Amino acid sequence: MIDNLYQWTDKRLNISGGSRKLLNKIFPDHWSFMLGEIALYSFVVLVATGIFLTLYFVPSQHEIVYHGPYLPLDGQRVSEAYASTIRLSFQVRAGLLMRQMHHWAANIFVGSIVVHMCRVFFTGGFRRPREFNWIIGVNLLILAIFNGFLGYSLPDDLVSGTGIRIAFSILESLPLVGSYLAVWLFGGNFPGTAIIPRFFIIHVLILPAIIAGLIGAHLFLLVKQKHTQFKGSGATEENVVGAPMYPNFIAKTQGFLFLVTAVTALLAAVVQINPIWQYGPYKPYKVSYAVQPDWYMGWLDGALRVMPSWEIVFPGHMIPNAFFPGILLPGLTFTILMLWPIIEARITKDDVEHHILEEPRNNPLRTAFGAAVLAFYFVLFGASATDVLANYLSVSLNTVLVTFRVLVIAVPLVVFPITYKICVELQHQHRPSKTKRHNIVVRSPEGGYSTIEVKPRPGDERTHLPPIPVDAMVLVGPRTAQAADGASPTNGTDGGRVRGIFKIPRTYR
Amino acid sequence: MGLRLLRKILVPFAAIVVAASMATLLMGRSHVASPTSTPSPSQFSLTAAGSASRKAQLQTGYQLFQVHCSFCHGTRADGSTGIAPNLQGLGPGVVQLWLRTGWMPLKTPGAQPDNKPPAFNDTQIREIALWVASLKKGGVPFPPKLHLNKANVAQGFSLFTLNCAPCHTITGAGDALADGYHAPPLKAVTRHEVYEAVRSGPQNMPQFGPKNITPAQLRDIIKYVVKYIKHPVSPGGISLGGVGPVAEGFVGLFIGVGGCLLAAYWVGDRTERGSEEDQGSGEGPAGEREASHA
Repeated sequence: MIDNLYQWTDKRLNISGGSRKLLNKIFPDHWSFMLGEIALYSFVVLVATGIFLTLYFVPSQHEIVYHGPYLPLDGQRVSEAYASTIRLSFQVRAGLLMRQMHHWAANIFVGSIVVHMCRVFFTGGFRRPREFNWIIGVNLLILAIFNGFLGYSLPDDLVSGTGIRIAFSILESLPLVGSYLAVWLFGGNFPGTAIIPRFFIIHVLILPAIIAGLIGAHLFLLVKQKHTQFKGSGATEENVVGAPMYPNFIAKTQGFLFLVTAVTALLAAVVQINPIWQYGPYKPYKVSYAVQPDWYMGWLDGALRVMPSWEIVFPGHMIPNAFFPGILLPGLTFTILMLWPIIEARITKDDVEHHILEEPRNNPLRTAFGAAVLAFYFVLFGASATDVLANYLSVSLNTVLVTFRVLVIAVPLVVFPITYKICVELQHQHRPSKTKRHNIVVRSPEGGYSTIEVKPRPGDERTHLPPIPVDAMVLVGPRTAQAADGASPTNGTDGGRVRGIFKIPRTYR
Repeated sequence: MGLRLLRKILVPFAAIVVAASMATLLMGRSHVASPTSTPSPSQFSLTAAGSASRKAQLQTGYQLFQVHCSFCHGTRADGSTGIAPNLQGLGPGVVQLWLRTGWMPLKTPGAQPDNKPPAFNDTQIREIALWVASLKKGGVPFPPKLHLNKANVAQGFSLFTLNCAPCHTITGAGDALADGYHAPPLKAVTRHEVYEAVRSGPQNMPQFGPKNITPAQLRDIIKYVVKYIKHPVSPGGISLGGVGPVAEGFVGLFIGVGGCLLAAYWVGDRTERGSEEDQGSGEGPAGEREASHA
């Protein structure tokens, strides 16, 4: 019955023909190829929990009087967005769990994109022909960060409202068009009543649709261009070694979807995130100290904090201070990131297709550069917690701030040479294939030194295997071009030398 | 070495304590608490009643002040320029706040004092405060009886956000301010400390008089602090110290992404790749091959 139905459908839609190729797609086995999947599956979790949240969230800044079980808010005037999020947290069954899963999944989503990007960067997976997929990936990262910020802003609580205020000011700092752009986006001056509904529709509809589309393009290119792979186990530039989509990879990746969901759910069940009832509703005249954005915006917050108060005045027009850390830094960051495959190809003059990945140690310059850049952003992230650090370490906030201004320059400069050196050292590391000869140094009675070569240690002899006897090899392919022409004898020997393609018997491998 | 130093400090200190106790004994007090013992409630009520015991209280306060405070603040609590402020007219509430929080006696001069266990018990603190207050009228009184039953906690939350959160943070975790000052955490404060601090404005904190924050509003704030700042409602699980997204970010990265990475490591293939030894060794464990790229 099911078989008949399938046959009927297949004759009309030709499912089998198209999916045969897809089901046979080979996926490399190594665990580091599953980092992108974490991002993919946390996106699945985000969509699933996000749909649940939209059922209860009211995207409106209309003020109402809250009445509910949380007494410190009972009778306060709050926006409908805030009230509905509080109701979602306290009165909707599983509402708080869903909210926390959504928020943790967002943190994991952006984090796994960054980790995945690091894997691709440090192994050179972005090189020709995969530049397009790298650019799509960087765009996904930007959209993920941006959508995370929008979602963080939606509850209209005191902490996120401060973030929106900062975003408004950063937008305003854009020379010439900034103030127009900010007023256009917010539908008037800050805060207005339009921003939460607008953020909502961008957050739940526009950006997720673009993200889903780009993920589709990302995966389509992945199938079309095939996977990269590390060398070893018979992997060459011409093939992909691994498990096929069906049945091996399907089973593995399904299990992995459940594992990612499980980690997110566990975190959401055990660790509280963004307790907005403790923060209260956003009022433009109220503010809390120690306000930070989520970690993926933290480096921008840190940049705003460590930036010295310079303002450049063009004749007749001043560029506000917030422009440099707030717009120029992320603009440069993502432009360079996106163009990196092209930049690197220009520098190295490498215009060959690559399907075998490099080990980071074998490209010390790129690895050191990447590590230094990562260190730069990590220090900036740390700078977003200057006050928290100053408080915990009982040091003056001013000292911490000045320290971070130094560190943000110094740490990358230190990380670069150290990483470079580590890479070079690792290249010379003792590995199975690079066994060193063991020498004994002796001193003669006259005081001179000389070495005596000794036998290799037990277990190291394999580097000195004897040549395979010619007789043992099996002729499998056509002989040399000459032989195929029939110009020379075809008995497999040519003047005492064997010519042709031979198979080496298993015993000798 | 260290022992001798310790003895050098301890012996005079012990002598002072003994002298002070002797003095109070001579004044006819039956209950003398050493600086480390805690008072019983009966003892407190006993000494608080009657004018004769009031005189005794002033006398003990005087003794304690002379022994422990006068070195910096002067024998008449009028301070010394550049070292210690004049305490006259500040009121007993201020003295009680600084002694109960352990800010005084100061560990090191100059810095903002940290919370530490108080050097005196509550009775002694009250006695010292009474004596200082007897020198000059005015200032912040002892906190009145704070009836919090009718206080409006929602009003308190709103006022806390407006007046306290800008320094103490919205969760009351406390934070560093500029130039080495800090707003202390509010997780362990008592209702009386909140009252005294708001009314007197210690250290960097602004002073809020009754025209700024009315007594009823202050009761609202105090109720919010002692109920919800000290015991935050955290149905979502571990609250990560209430310091917000930085802590959450580290948990999200190290436990969230880290947990997923462990899962990937568990599910995926873990053999080390890339060694030249590996390269020519034929088919791997799952050695299925795909057609060439061309």
